[in-house]
Amino acid sequence: MEQKIITIKEQIETAIEQRENLKIVGGNSKSFLGRDIVGSKIDMSDYTGVISYEPTELYISVKAGTLLSDVNKVLSEKNQILAFEPAEVNEKTTIGGVVATGLSGPRRPYAGSVRDFVLGISCINGLAKNMSFGGQVMKNVAGYDLSRLLTGSYGSLAVIYDVTFKVLPIPEFESSGCKQTSRQEALETMSELSVKSFPVSAACYYDGLLSVRFSGNKKVVKDSMQNFSLQEMDNSEQFWSELRNFKLPFFNSEKPIWRLSVPSSSNIGFEKDDYVIDWGGAQYWLASERPANEIFSLAEGFGGSALLFHGGDRSGDVFQPLSKGIFKLQQNLKQAFDPYRILNREKMYKTL
Amino acid sequence: MNFDNLRQFLPDEAVLLSEESRRVYECDALSAHRVIPGCVVLPDSVEQVQAVLRYCHANDIPVVARGAGTGLSGGAMPHAEGVLLILAKFDQIIEIDAKQRIARVQPGVRNLAISDAVKSHDLYYAPDPSSQIACTIGGNVAENSGGVHCLKYGLTVHNILQLKIITIEGDLLTIGSHALDSPGYDLLALFTGSEGMLGVIIEVTVKLLPKPPYSRVLLAAFDDIEKAGNSVAGIIANGIIPAGLEMMDKAGVRAVEDYIHAGYPVEAEAILLCELDGTEDEVLVTIDKVETLLKEYGAIEVRVARDENESLQFWAGRKAAFPAVGRIAPDYYCMDGTIPRKHIAEVLSKINILSEKYELAVVNVFHAGDGNLHPLILYDVAIPGELKRAEAFGSDILKLCVSIGGTITGEHGVGVEKINEMCVQFSEDELQQFHEVKAAFDKKGLLNPGKAVPTLNRCAEFGAMHVHKGHDKFPDLERF
Ligand SMILES: Cc1cc2nc3c(=O)[nH]c(=O)nc-3n(C[C@H](O)[C@H](O)[C@H](O)COP(=O)(O)OP(=O)(O)OC[C@H]3O[C@@H](n4cnc5c(N)ncnc54)[C@H](O)[C@@H]3O)c2cc1C
Repeated sequence: MEQKIITIKEQIETAIEQRENLKIVGGNSKSFLGRDIVGSKIDMSDYTGVISYEPTELYISVKAGTLLSDVNKVLSEKNQILAFEPAEVNEKTTIGGVVATGLSGPRRPYAGSVRDFVLGISCINGLAKNMSFGGQVMKNVAGYDLSRLLTGSYGSLAVIYDVTFKVLPIPEFESSGCKQTSRQEALETMSELSVKSFPVSAACYYDGLLSVRFSGNKKVVKDSMQNFSLQEMDNSEQFWSELRNFKLPFFNSEKPIWRLSVPSSSNIGFEKDDYVIDWGGAQYWLASERPANEIFSLAEGFGGSALLFHGGDRSGDVFQPLSKGIFKLQQNLKQAFDPYRILNREKMYKTL
Repeated sequence: MNFDNLRQFLPDEAVLLSEESRRVYECDALSAHRVIPGCVVLPDSVEQVQAVLRYCHANDIPVVARGAGTGLSGGAMPHAEGVLLILAKFDQIIEIDAKQRIARVQPGVRNLAISDAVKSHDLYYAPDPSSQIACTIGGNVAENSGGVHCLKYGLTVHNILQLKIITIEGDLLTIGSHALDSPGYDLLALFTGSEGMLGVIIEVTVKLLPKPPYSRVLLAAFDDIEKAGNSVAGIIANGIIPAGLEMMDKAGVRAVEDYIHAGYPVEAEAILLCELDGTEDEVLVTIDKVETLLKEYGAIEVRVARDENESLQFWAGRKAAFPAVGRIAPDYYCMDGTIPRKHIAEVLSKINILSEKYELAVVNVFHAGDGNLHPLILYDVAIPGELKRAEAFGSDILKLCVSIGGTITGEHGVGVEKINEMCVQFSEDELQQFHEVKAAFDKKGLLNPGKAVPTLNRCAEFGAMHVHKGHDKFPDLERF
């Protein structure tokens, strides 16, 4: 066992004895996410490196503290990518944080989410037990799928220390186009893009402009651009990276920033608030001073959920409140992994 | 146990009490394991399922859910003192939303019926287990089933959005949503592949995909199984993800040819089927690339299907592989380990050594693209000792898979069949964590008891040592 794993186990054992909370930290690039919490630090940022990478097996295993930029670099040398396009919030973003928050980028509706690409996780639970679930192979149904359960659990079930992802080849060709249009028309185009077999890999509406990225065979991409009369974007790389990394001018808003995950047919109109539509209509970024309850019920009304992404009151509800039955199961699961409620206590919900 | 009371909640004909009527359901497709259920119920409304579960919960009665009973690991094997809850009457497609590309269906809807129902919209449901004419979507979710096209389009877990489930206490809950993700822990992922241990699935929202406008199949023959294995890695290394990539060994090819005359080259040591899909331009370019690659990797023959019909003919042989094997032996035992692709040749040669050791023939057909093996062990249950030998042979294959970094099951589930091998793949702490997760949903352990996760005592009795994933070689296997 690596020294770092032993240290984490010891930290947890001590915390159990002293009934103390632990706060898991990677690069701290997304520390603005989730509820405000206190606790002594488990620092993952010094636990770094690629454990194994086999391009022909389509997987990479990395230690949680490894920088996302380093992983991307290693993959690009072999013409491969993490297809869920995770955000590099800043140069300190680690792979552990990517998995713990489970946030996926613009390619998500067309390629899949973080959890879709997680093949295996090694972790230490709140009882200091060291465990591995899943593995390196694509198909694996032995035991419950705990590596996917841990993805997006905000470190509140276990300390994730090694992760294996499925990786994919870089698309052979990419091109992006845009056009000025109304929200209504933009959403209709987005819907048409996914109902037919167009090689779309991102679709966003921002500031009156619909932007679409196509990835795949060159001729098919070019034909698709023509089909929708899109004008080739000259700053496409920059635009998609700003959208992915929360760096569009929209994200500089002084107001609290909300993320709404809703069915792609929702078509929500915001009169007063600034917004960005991503994921082909299934994700809205909203800058708004409206009270949290109002936003939660708005999202719920469309069959989706809201997350207070940035700013606002981080001592209240940050994640969409859950129904009683579902919340009970969440509490039971917390109990199953971390019965003393030591790990990232209250990060997701006040009573988890 | 008095099951008569269940007639309070269900019409008389939906509660089967006579031994004769119960015996019909004594096993799933793993027929070596049989138990006559204490009682069989066939509800047709959510309220009835809730009432049955509440009654069982209050009276500590075990409950086993069953879809079509095509499972290959004994997951739906009944409990002698329990209720077998059959979901087959829930066979309605509730809603198709072509614009959002989703369908909301009841759990007893057959896999293929979904694609049939959305055909007119040029859509389909991607996961396509070979049993798709018969198996239900509820069973598919419970097993996280895969199919030939999962290499490119993912498993069940990648193709569903929302479940409605009933807990053992009888509560109806919605997991996931029609949005792409949902708040809280990912219960949707946890439920998928949970083998009926956590709750009863009563509705599924599946994602639908647009039908690719064009597809073609290539058939390549090799005189050496290692070359065939290497070409699989070669295709993927070149940035190509085929829609399907299947392999069959010589014994498989011969069995298929004798059965349906698919036109496979019988002299080959292995054949590979590779399906490419997309737009016509895209597919035609990729076919050329793959053809060249296959030849570079030593294929002695590569055939490209001329049209849709020939593509179907190439597939016909692969799809008939199981029944074809059924003709050459009285019984066969289908294994389901998954391994890293690069070890395909090594594992196949070790399986052949084991085949000699156990004096049982084996046929290999498998999803080569994702390293999911289906060795079919041939035996005759009428010959004393052969079933036991087949099971021991199978167990050795699974241990071999774990020892090189693979898993004991890629898509068929653990059920009762691979419960002992779970002790090889997982440590005590890991198994204990599984038990804790189970308790989070089903404290009394009434749902499908004795399946999927072995007790620690059982592992101690089985005497298997935990093989640390791919790091230690399994000592037993070093001898051959
Ligand atoms: C010839 C043949 C070929 C096959 N090919 C493939 C293949 O290519 N890929 C593959 O993945 N599998 C394959 N299988 C295995 C099998 O078809 C799948 O596992 C299938 O998903 C089982 O569905 P079912 O409806 O028959 O479920 P059952 O066998 O009835 O049940 C399977 C498990 O699911 C649980 N379950 C069923 N319904 C529910 C529900 N509503 N709620 C909760 N739990 C439930 C049961 O308790 C049991 O544990 C094959 C089987 C056969 C016989």
